[in-house]
Amino acid sequence: MTSDRAQLVNASLAARVAMPAPASARPGAQFAAGLLPVLPAVAFLLLFFVAPLVQNGAHSIWLPSPQGGRLSAAYYAKLFFDSYYLTVIGQTLLLSVIVTAICAVLGYPVAYFMVRHAGRWTGLIIFLLVAPLLTSIIMRTFGWSVILARNGVLNSTLLGLGFIERPLRLLQGPSSVIIGLVHVLVPFMVISIAAVLKGVDRRLEEAAQLLGAGRLRTFREVTLPLSLDGVATGSIVVFMLANGSFLTMLLLGGGSVVTLPLLIYQQFLLVQNLGFAAAMGNVLLALAVLSLFLQLRLIRRQGVHR
Amino acid sequence: MSETRVLRQVERRIPQALLLGYVLVFFVFLLAPIFFVVLVSFSDAAFITFPVTDFSLRWYYRLLEYTPLLASLWFSLKLAAASAILAAILGVPAALALARSTSRVADVVSTFLLAPLSIPMILLGVALLYYLSAMGLGLSFISLLIAHTVVSIPYVVRTVVAVYRSVGRDYEESAAILGASNRQIFTYITLPLIGSGIFSGMLFAILISLDNLSLSLFFGSAQTNTLPVVMLSYLQNQFDPAIAAIGSVQMAIAFVVLLMIERTVGLEYMSSPS
Repeated sequence: MTSDRAQLVNASLAARVAMPAPASARPGAQFAAGLLPVLPAVAFLLLFFVAPLVQNGAHSIWLPSPQGGRLSAAYYAKLFFDSYYLTVIGQTLLLSVIVTAICAVLGYPVAYFMVRHAGRWTGLIIFLLVAPLLTSIIMRTFGWSVILARNGVLNSTLLGLGFIERPLRLLQGPSSVIIGLVHVLVPFMVISIAAVLKGVDRRLEEAAQLLGAGRLRTFREVTLPLSLDGVATGSIVVFMLANGSFLTMLLLGGGSVVTLPLLIYQQFLLVQNLGFAAAMGNVLLALAVLSLFLQLRLIRRQGVHR
Repeated sequence: MSETRVLRQVERRIPQALLLGYVLVFFVFLLAPIFFVVLVSFSDAAFITFPVTDFSLRWYYRLLEYTPLLASLWFSLKLAAASAILAAILGVPAALALARSTSRVADVVSTFLLAPLSIPMILLGVALLYYLSAMGLGLSFISLLIAHTVVSIPYVVRTVVAVYRSVGRDYEESAAILGASNRQIFTYITLPLIGSGIFSGMLFAILISLDNLSLSLFFGSAQTNTLPVVMLSYLQNQFDPAIAAIGSVQMAIAFVVLLMIERTVGLEYMSSPS
């Protein structure tokens, strides 16, 4: 260590004597050399991320047969014209929209509190928001079955207090799925909103109050509109993640809520219908790409604001 | 006069108190499931029931007897470590190049390297299973390693880019002016400065890998079952506190890792949306 440091000093002394010319003169070559280190990662993702998705796309429009198969839109036709599958797509979107809306309503006040009132507790709040994200999702979902089960926490408490006479059936329905999803996804909403709220210029709020607006009106006409970008970013993230989840439906839904990812899981497990699973996956992918596109546009816009 | 002032003061405080109350309820909601799983894991009952009256460690002993759960935890830890190392080997050089570049190409490459986070995991799982099977890899550790690395790369890249950008160029430029060679700059300046970023990025990747069900699900076999896959199949057959016990063990591991991240670079790198 010390000898290396000595070397560094020696080198610096030598450098004062003879400053070497810049290694690469041509800007094009410099640019290419500058991005050379990204190649291994890019190649890896092209090979194991892009190529599988492309192959999956090919599977979805290829109808195999003993003679070798042919191009066909049959899987997509089945998805978009069969009333059962249309219902599934509709349920997937509806569920995601409901969950996203609930997350926005529940998450906004927490983000507001975190940015404006938490002070030295901010670190703790971030920790409490992130910590559940890092416990196993199976464990969190299992936690909700423990709470909502027939002889679970909620029913025993209500029975014990005499509010109900026999256990309520809380599990295995759409509401328990929504509770589970909101619980898993709401931290993403809070974090996204807080990030934008932090950047809202407080002088604008002070100006509004000086001009005679009450606190509620200031919030409604200044703070809220300025932070809507955060709500939008958070909504896209939550919507996207809700669209892709299946564990919550599987463990808390009891078959009452069938969404695309759950159907892919079942197709894979039971039927092994590759082409159809591929087509359903591509519908999910289209939704994800659309969300990603919206998200990038939002981020660009925020970049302009700052 | 003073009465109205007091009234106005109270009026100002009420919304704040309501907000504080709401935030407390929110965190109860957020932490309740985790709390009850840990509580149940120490129960002495043969099935899940409330209130928990007798406490014991019998479900932790059960983990020692029912080997698939612990075996899969060990397998998951090995897989997580291997994929984090591979992701670091691929991702760190890329992150260093991207952090200092302002070209449009670099923007596109960054977006591309983060893309695996934005597509539905279950689709990637199905697609990779058939792709890797066609390559002859099938249900193997290598397949799982590839799948997990695809998802780990974004975490490593994102963290290292953020940390490297926050450091600034000054130290490296000073070293260059003092005549240090590129290799010396990298070894004595850059690496020590971003070491914590690499470390945290890898820890994130490990946590994500440990909890990954949607990818691992498709590669499950007797030799390649990860913890979430075994937990899921156990849950579908039994509803007993053993699952709470293994969940608590996993949470303890995650908690330690989380504290390590907090100590090295801070948690905000985990949560930044982009």
